[in-house]
Parts: sequence; C-alpha cells; structure tokens
Amino acid sequence: MLAAAAISASLAAAPAIAQSITVVREVDSDRYDPHRSTARAASEVLFMLGDTLVSLDYDMKTIKPSLADSWTVSPDGLTYTFNLRKDVKFCDGKPMKAEDVAFSLKRWINPETKSPVRWRAGKVEDVIAKDDYTVEYKLTAPYSELLYQLTQSFAVVIDKDTLAKLGADFGVKGFNGTGPFCWVEWTPRNEMKIKRHDAYTWGPPIYENRGPAQVQEIVWKIVPEENTRLAALMTGQSQVTQYIPYSGFRTIRSNPNTKLIESKEAFWTYFMGFKIDKSEVNDETLRRAMVMAVDQGAIAKNLYFGEVQPAYSYISQQALDWNPKVEADLIKTNLAEANKLLDEAGFKKGPDGFRQRNGKKIEPTFYGFTGSTWQKLAEAVQGDLRKVGIDLKLQLFDATVVWGKLATQEFDMFGMSYPYISAGDALNLYFRSANVPTPNRMNWKDAKTDQLLDRGMAATTDDVRAAAYGEVLEQVHKAAVWIPLYHEPMKIGYSAKLAPIKAHNIYGCGLYKGLDIKFASK
Amino acid sequence: MTSTDIESSTPLPRPVGLLRRLASDSTVLIAGGILVTIVAASLLAPFIAPYDPYETGYAPFIPPAFMEGGTSEFLLGTDQQGRDLLSRLLYGTQATLLTGLLGVFFGGGAGVVLGILAAYFKKFDPPIMRFVDVLLSFPAILFGLAIAAVIGPGIVPIIIALSIATVPDVARVTRSTAVVVMSQEYMEAGRAIGLSDRHLIIRYLGLNCIGSVFVFLTLRFGQVILIGAALSFLGLGARPPMAELGMMAAQGRDALFFAPHISTIPSLAIFMIVLCANMLGDALRDALDPRMRNM
Repeated sequence: MLAAAAISASLAAAPAIAQSITVVREVDSDRYDPHRSTARAASEVLFMLGDTLVSLDYDMKTIKPSLADSWTVSPDGLTYTFNLRKDVKFCDGKPMKAEDVAFSLKRWINPETKSPVRWRAGKVEDVIAKDDYTVEYKLTAPYSELLYQLTQSFAVVIDKDTLAKLGADFGVKGFNGTGPFCWVEWTPRNEMKIKRHDAYTWGPPIYENRGPAQVQEIVWKIVPEENTRLAALMTGQSQVTQYIPYSGFRTIRSNPNTKLIESKEAFWTYFMGFKIDKSEVNDETLRRAMVMAVDQGAIAKNLYFGEVQPAYSYISQQALDWNPKVEADLIKTNLAEANKLLDEAGFKKGPDGFRQRNGKKIEPTFYGFTGSTWQKLAEAVQGDLRKVGIDLKLQLFDATVVWGKLATQEFDMFGMSYPYISAGDALNLYFRSANVPTPNRMNWKDAKTDQLLDRGMAATTDDVRAAAYGEVLEQVHKAAVWIPLYHEPMKIGYSAKLAPIKAHNIYGCGLYKGLDIKFASK
Repeated sequence: MTSTDIESSTPLPRPVGLLRRLASDSTVLIAGGILVTIVAASLLAPFIAPYDPYETGYAPFIPPAFMEGGTSEFLLGTDQQGRDLLSRLLYGTQATLLTGLLGVFFGGGAGVVLGILAAYFKKFDPPIMRFVDVLLSFPAILFGLAIAAVIGPGIVPIIIALSIATVPDVARVTRSTAVVVMSQEYMEAGRAIGLSDRHLIIRYLGLNCIGSVFVFLTLRFGQVILIGAALSFLGLGARPPMAELGMMAAQGRDALFFAPHISTIPSLAIFMIVLCANMLGDALRDALDPRMRNM
C-alpha cells in the first residue's frame, strides 16, 4: 500500500523532471547584474530573468511592446513616455510599478554603478515615474538609437528591495526580476539554474506563447570544450545549444535525433582592423590591395565548412540603416588586381619575394586572440597576404592578456568580432574619435565622421538617421580600414524531442526569452 | 697512493665495445635507423620539400595519395588551409626536434651544473635541492602558459618552459650519481694532492657522471618532445605560419571526422620520434649498465 503510494508519487513527479532543459555553453559570466555585466553569457540568462520596456522582433529592426504597452516620443525627440502594463509582477509576487523602472534605468546610468555600457542609454536628463504606470525618459539630446538600446539586457528592470538586501551579492547569490524565469541557484563556472515564473503572462508579442514558459526549469551548463558540447547534444545530455563547432552542423543536420535552426540574419561580424596611422599600413592603396587579397569565400568554405557568410561589408547588409550605395564600393577578392595595385603604387618586391616600401620590407604586426578561431583565421589571412608579397607577423595572446595588448599602440592590425543591432550601434562604437584607443583601435579620427555620428544619434526621423549613418558607412568602407572576414549567423542545435524553436539574434543570445522552448507533444 | 693510480682510474667507465654491442641490438638498429631518417629528412626539408610549406591556396582537404581520392601531386594530402602536408611535416619535424633538443640541452646543462654543485659543495646541497623541489612542483604546462602570457607565444617560451621542466629531474639524477663518485677514493686523493676544485669537478666528478646523465637525457628527450608538442597543441607554441607537429595536430581537430589525415599524420610523426628516442635511450642504458653488461 505504502509502496504503491510511493510509486504513484514518483510517477507524478516524473513529468516535472522531464520538463527540465539543459543548455550547454562555452563560458560563464562574472555576475548576473544587468547594469554591470556586458558578457553575452550574462545577457543570455538576464533576458530570461528579467524584462525590458520594449522588445525587439526577429527581424532585428521592429520595436515591439514588452513591459511598456505603448509609448510616445515628443516631436523634439527629447522625451519618451512609456505606458506600462498593469499586470506585471516580480518573481517574489510584488507588482512592478513605474518607480521600479525608473530606479533600474537610473541605476544603469548612475556613474557609481560603473556600467561599462552607460553610453548606450544616451544623454539622459532624468527618468521619472509620472504615476504608477507611466515612465518619462528625458534626454538632453535626441538619441535615435534609444528604443533599440532599451531592448538590450542592460535595460532589464530589477527589484530595488532585493538589490538593497543582497548588496554586492546581487546577481551573484540572487535576483528578482519580472522575466519568464526566476533565479534558483548559480555555481560559477559550472551551472546556472532558473525555474519557471508561473504568474508570467506578459511576454513580448513576437512569441505565440506569451507566458508562462513551457518548461519547468532551465539549467545553463558550462562545457568549455566544443566537441564535448556537440556530444552532449547528440547524447541527449543537453537539449539545446548555440555553441556548436562548425564541423558539427553537418552531424546535427543528418542525425534524426537532433535539429538545427538557422537564422538568415547574421549580426555578429569578424574582421581585422588596420591602425591607419601606423607607418606599416597608413597607405590607403596598400590597405585596399590587402583587403582585395583576402579570399573570404575560401575562408568561409574551408575553415567554416560553408556555415558562415563571407563578409565584404563591415556590418551585415540586413542590418538596420545599411546603405545600399556602399555595395558598389565593397572590395571583392581579386588577387591579380591586388598585385597590380601594389605594383602601380611602387611597392616593389625585394629579393625575398616580399614587397618593400622605402627600402623596408612590408611586415605589419597583427595582434589577436589565441585559440582555435583566430589562430586559423589569422593564418588564412597571412597565407593570402603572402600571395601579394606582404609578410603578416602574427602575435596571438591568451584571453587574459589580449585585451590589455589591444589597448596599446604596438600593433598595425588586430582581429576582433562583435555583435550589433544596427549600423548606428556598430559605427558609434568603433568610429568615434573619442573612442580611441579602444574600441576605436583603428585610430580613425575624422571630424566629419564625428559630426555625422552625432547627427545620426540626434535624428528624430528614420530617414535622417539612415542618411547620416549611411554616409559614415561610405566613408569608412572607402578608406579600407577593416578587412571584413565573415558574418556569423545564429544557428541553434536542439533535440528532436523539443518543438521547433526560432533563433533570435539579439546580442547573440539565440534563445532570447525562451518562451517557445517546449517538449514536442507525443 | 701515487699519481699513477689517479690517472689509471680515469677516463672512467668508458666500456670497450659499446658501439659494437649497440650495433648488434636489432632494436637499436631499427629505432636508430628510423630516427636518423627522420632527422635527416627534417634537416634536408628546404631541399626535399615538394612545396612551400606556407603556400596556401591549393585545394584543401585532399587526402593522402594512398587513400581514396588522393593524388600523387600531394603525397600526404593537403590541410584545411590548402597547404601541402608533406612539406609542412618536414618543416614541422625540424621545429619539433629543435625545441626538444634545445630544451634538453639548456635544461640538462643547468640541471647537471646544479646537481654537481650540490654534491660537491655540501653547504650548497640543501638550498639547491630545495630549489629543485620547488621547480619539481610546477607542471611544465603551467610554466608554458605563464611564460607565453608574459612574452607572447612562440618557440622561445616553449624552449624556456621545457628547459625549466627538465632541470629538476636532471639535477636529482646528477646529484645522486655525483654523490657516489664523491665517495670514491680518487676524489679524496685528488683533494689530498691539492687539485683545484675546478679541476676536480670538471675532470673527475663531471666526466664520471656524464655517462649516466647522458642516458637519462636520451630518455628525457622523448618526454620533452611530448610536452613541447602538448604546449604547442594548446596554441602556446610556434607562431603561425611556422609549422610545428603539435600545432599541426591541433589544427586538424576540426576536420577529424572527414579529413583525419591532417591531425593523424603529424601525431604519428610525434609518436615515432618519441618511441624511437625512448627505445634508443633504453638500449643505451642497458648497454652502459654494468650489471646488464656482465650477464
């Protein structure tokens, strides 16, 4: 009798266990505080633990409601008024009010928080809770990117009482947000456990299921080795992951137990930049020829098994405010033309087969990350540049020292990859003269660029913004300051036991809110 | 005791017929033959390599000639960057052997000096040996990581790491051999007739130890190559495009399932070098070991 009861109890509990999903990924974050963590690893979890005022559609261009039902922008572009939903609750059951939103956004902006991405909030005068469900976001200068930035995990709304209680342990030992999942436990560099927020019904309209989530629990597990992650997916230890080695996509596609979802939009771009004022690479013709010598098609095909998009533009051509006029200026692979350009410019080959400039061999120094990605990427570019007589010297550093090295003026070229949501997002980051020496490692200092970036940022209409950013795109592409290499598309491998999911590109976090993750009905 | 006695006890256990004994051992012949071929091929790389090892742009992933789909143009096939694998293998072996040799040379040299000093000067014994114990507690990989982090990856940090990793073992072996030699009567006699420390250390102590230390170093050589390849596999070694066997093995990992030759061929080369070095070392030890000799 007792035994029977025990058995039935365990049977009843079984489905709950089956409702747990394990996501394997490469690295962990140092903490999960939305205003202080900028790692993709943090954003992935924060999108699920919390909500933002507005959300971003799969097309990466359309702003949709989230915590705010509707919003208005004043004609001068300085005041944004958000009307909040009235049914939103934190994980602890407390209703979310306008003052929570104002508190969270002001904490992000507050210099004491030391948020590395404070600039993303724009030039803020104040964020005011007009009443319980109205928030006014006041700027001192118009900022056309604002709504896009407010979709990012840095704008997640948090509960100030939990913050006061946990202090420095906020986002380390606990969290309280309004997201579809709630904090359970985090063991750094091992796993992050989050459970379903049962009261959740206010998911972004981009999801068919607006809440609550359809699985009980998500476990984010750190598995540093890529082939082990692939094995975890194949053997069912993990149900979904976007961190798959390129060689594994073929396996996932052909295996009946796994599926692959691919998003056409690729908003993570790998490139090599030139420090344009260094004597090795300060000649525009030389840089053009170098860009031309690199065979992005072969790189995509040979190193990445055709799973990435060869890049000739600095941002994805599908990104918001991409300028179609630049298409004619894109430098395509042409070895013969590259050699001709260099010959004509007077870079003669020396006795060792390498070209010379003022009697000195052309041998730019490249700084980049060690590890499988950049090692082979840099080597491929090195091989291509040898064919036009340029001897690229590679210096690859461990992740712990590379950031410091990349902030110096020691190198001529560097390797980098980055996520973005729009042209403005990318250009304001890399091409502002105020951002020298990092992230503007090119030392691109141009008054006109700064002016255009300001104009784009202050634009109150889409046309003005697109025109300003479009012109900057033209400027920098013409000057050949980068060698674009490839755009990395979002691909998520998942178990066939799950219902189909859709890949999002926001900040490279493919699962976004996770509201569509569920086991397929039998 | 006369000075003649001292002279007669040098030059030390240089066994007559060592080479002949080694030559009659088939293991030595095979292992030595292979090793000599490998070394010769790598030294002659600039002359016999069919292609430029850095030249990319041939079709990638071509399998070796003896496999289906292979072509005689590329005897060992091409790697994922479209480079000729045979040429890279020849140059890579050169780099691997060089790092191993230099690692053993510098590390062995320092170890011998430390070991002999510790045995000869009693007051230096404790500090030197404790220092060696400290070194012994650091794994070579950790050294490699730390050094590469400071001066950047490359062949030099690998050689430094390998040298440091070799020092403690060699110092221990040298010291224990030297302590035995120190207790010999001729050492005492040398001191009694007023030979200088330098003379005693170099001519009597050093030369008497060198045989067994040399055997140890031969055995150690294989291990050093292996550690070097491991460091290089982790991306701390040779700077691209320079070919190095460990690095080549690492680069082929992505393609392991459909182009296994990229990874396995350099790995096999490492295996052969280490195996042959170990077999030679073993044979050398057997030949030099007096007990084995009497049997």
